[in-house]
Amino acid sequence: MSVMSNVVLEVRDLTTKYVTRFREEVYAVDHVSLQVEEGKSLGIAGESGCGKSTLALSLMGYYFPPLHYTCGEIIIDGRDISAMRPDDVRKSILGTEIAYIPQSAMNALNPTQKVIHFVEDVFQAHDPFKSKKEIHEFAKEAFETLGLPEEVLQKYPVELSGGMKQRTVIAVSVLLCPKVLIADEPSSALDVTTQKMVIKMLKGLMENGFIKSMIFITHELPLLYNVTDDIMVMYAGQIVEKATAREAVFDPLHPYAKGLMGSIIVPESGLRDVKLAAIPGVPPNLKDPPVGCRFAERCKYVRAECKVAAVPLYDAGGGRAYRCILSEEVLREAYQHAG
Amino acid sequence: MKGYRKYFLNKLGWFAVTFVCAFILNFILPRLMPGDPVAAIVARMAQGMSNARGVQAIYEQYTELFGTNKPMLQQFFIYVNNVFHGDFGFSFSQYPRTVADVLASSIWWTVGLQLPAILVGWLIGNFLGALAAYLKKGFDKVLMPASIFASSLPAFGMAVILLVVFGVTLEWLPTSGGYGYDLIPNFSWEFVWSVIVHYQMPFWSIVLITIGGQAIGMRSMAIYELNADYVKYSRFMGIKDRKIVRYVFRNAMLPQITGLALSIGTMVFGAIVAEIIFSYPGLGSTILTAVLGQDYPLISATMLIITLMVLITTFIIEILYGFIDPRIKAAQAED
Ligand SMILES: Nc1ncnc2c1ncn2[C@@H]1O[C@H](COP(=O)(O)OP(=O)(O)OP(=O)(O)O)[C@@H](O)[C@H]1O
Ligand code: SF4
Ligand SMILES: [Mg+2]
Repeated sequence: MSVMSNVVLEVRDLTTKYVTRFREEVYAVDHVSLQVEEGKSLGIAGESGCGKSTLALSLMGYYFPPLHYTCGEIIIDGRDISAMRPDDVRKSILGTEIAYIPQSAMNALNPTQKVIHFVEDVFQAHDPFKSKKEIHEFAKEAFETLGLPEEVLQKYPVELSGGMKQRTVIAVSVLLCPKVLIADEPSSALDVTTQKMVIKMLKGLMENGFIKSMIFITHELPLLYNVTDDIMVMYAGQIVEKATAREAVFDPLHPYAKGLMGSIIVPESGLRDVKLAAIPGVPPNLKDPPVGCRFAERCKYVRAECKVAAVPLYDAGGGRAYRCILSEEVLREAYQHAG
Repeated sequence: MKGYRKYFLNKLGWFAVTFVCAFILNFILPRLMPGDPVAAIVARMAQGMSNARGVQAIYEQYTELFGTNKPMLQQFFIYVNNVFHGDFGFSFSQYPRTVADVLASSIWWTVGLQLPAILVGWLIGNFLGALAAYLKKGFDKVLMPASIFASSLPAFGMAVILLVVFGVTLEWLPTSGGYGYDLIPNFSWEFVWSVIVHYQMPFWSIVLITIGGQAIGMRSMAIYELNADYVKYSRFMGIKDRKIVRYVFRNAMLPQITGLALSIGTMVFGAIVAEIIFSYPGLGSTILTAVLGQDYPLISATMLIITLMVLITTFIIEILYGFIDPRIKAAQAED
């Protein structure tokens, strides 16, 4: 990381919780810290239920039940949005500074509203004085740049194919040129060809100047290798591994990240046909997580000390970090024997 | 658009087939009832006559007049021919009035009672249901049980409750008729006031039941929509809650329109109970007297009106709905 780097999004110790109807608290995002620089993208991976979507929602700085903010800071371009009033966040942050593509982008558009009318509403929520003509011209141009036919604007979402809907949601999300785009599993529900098209479109957003940085969430860790610069692996609401894409995929430190990739991967043979090894066992219940390492129940290398106290995130230098009481050397040694 | 025209024609064809079947059944079913309606009329006409030959002559005269002496199939074709010329024949039970005359004098009472009641009940019910979904908590806890109570009560239950409370116990409102039995219809203030007073109980009994059913439907539709993904996405694009609420209620409202059209189409059935309990002079009461008097032409004609109303309203919804709601149009195009 160079000294000149320009941090767009900085998150420190962000913690949020769900409060269920029965007043139970689920800590799905637990002291998460991250940084995204201008022109960079960050991937977040982890198995279902680890809190990826909750993290995406929490990063928006705009909370509504059942999700509640507990502590932490979200700083976009030097501004701490976690301290702002919700209505100010809505007006001057959402869509303009930070935008979000929901996991179920297929249903993200109101089925009874033409795309163009939603676009009008989006613009007018931030600038009530913008004329419809200006909005239409801007939207047409943006859709063209992003390779979407202009006719899409005049259609109802139900008239669009799944892939087209997905790309429309992406296009609408970046219309106000947000500094950060958070895409939650933008490609998971699509067939391979459409998936490729969507990923290509997302990669192009930065080159086209629509966004300055991106967070890409997926449950398929290997998918991130070609898409993002850095990768974070989440487990049970916490970050367990933080590294560059290459390191996270080919040289993971945390036993969970290692498990996600299987043990047979070498960079030379690439990622084609890699079967993801399923890790036996289930993640802990986030209503009542264990005191010690949250991965202990499923870890091959577990020891008595692992279960005693919460494991901190250790800095491994060069921007790397991992959450395990074992040292880098011990872990590498262990992986060597296993592989 | 081509697919849509095909859809339209296809639907039209099915409605035509349904109509023909209903028309035939409307003719046959009443005539399968045991008993001889003409004998009943003759008995009434020939009261005090002791001459058996004379009675027989009158009987034959009436069977000739009504055509009931001919074979069923022939009767049917005569009936079809007459109906196409707008002639529904004589009413047996109210002879010498014609069926057209009986219907003309009762249908407006039903429409005048039902149409406003359904519309008012629908509007209030939807408004309350939407409010319950949006406010939740206290309001919902009161409204829901009340609505479930109102809508699950049999239609006569509501009417009887109103009758007992406001008619019998409090004596605020008259208990039967469309106007005071001592009045002759005219445009005097006295008569109009009498109509208004007699209108209240049948009207509110229908309104209350409609509110209950509509509120429940609207509430669950609105709750479903409030949790839809587009709500979350719109919020995160910075759109104001006020605007999002408008998206939600529009979407929740559209399917409710089907319910409205259906209750309008079937309003004659909806009227039967209230009209009978309050002796209201509408089509519902007419059906009752027609059935009791084995009045085939009147039964067939009222059933025909009902069939037509139901078919026409469903057809209109089917066609218009695709234009109002793009979700339905997409589904129709796939048919
Ligand atoms: N509305 C909610 N109320 C209570 N708990 C919730 C709610 N939504 C999610 N959770 C819980 O929070 C945890 C994290 O859920 P989240 O949706 O963030 O996971 P995820 O990593 O995105 O999973 P997936 O890959 O399936 O999308 C889960 O344990 C889940 O049960
Ligand atoms: S702390 Fe212990 S249980 Fe947790 S990952 Fe490391 S070795 Fe496994
Ligand atoms: Mg998710």
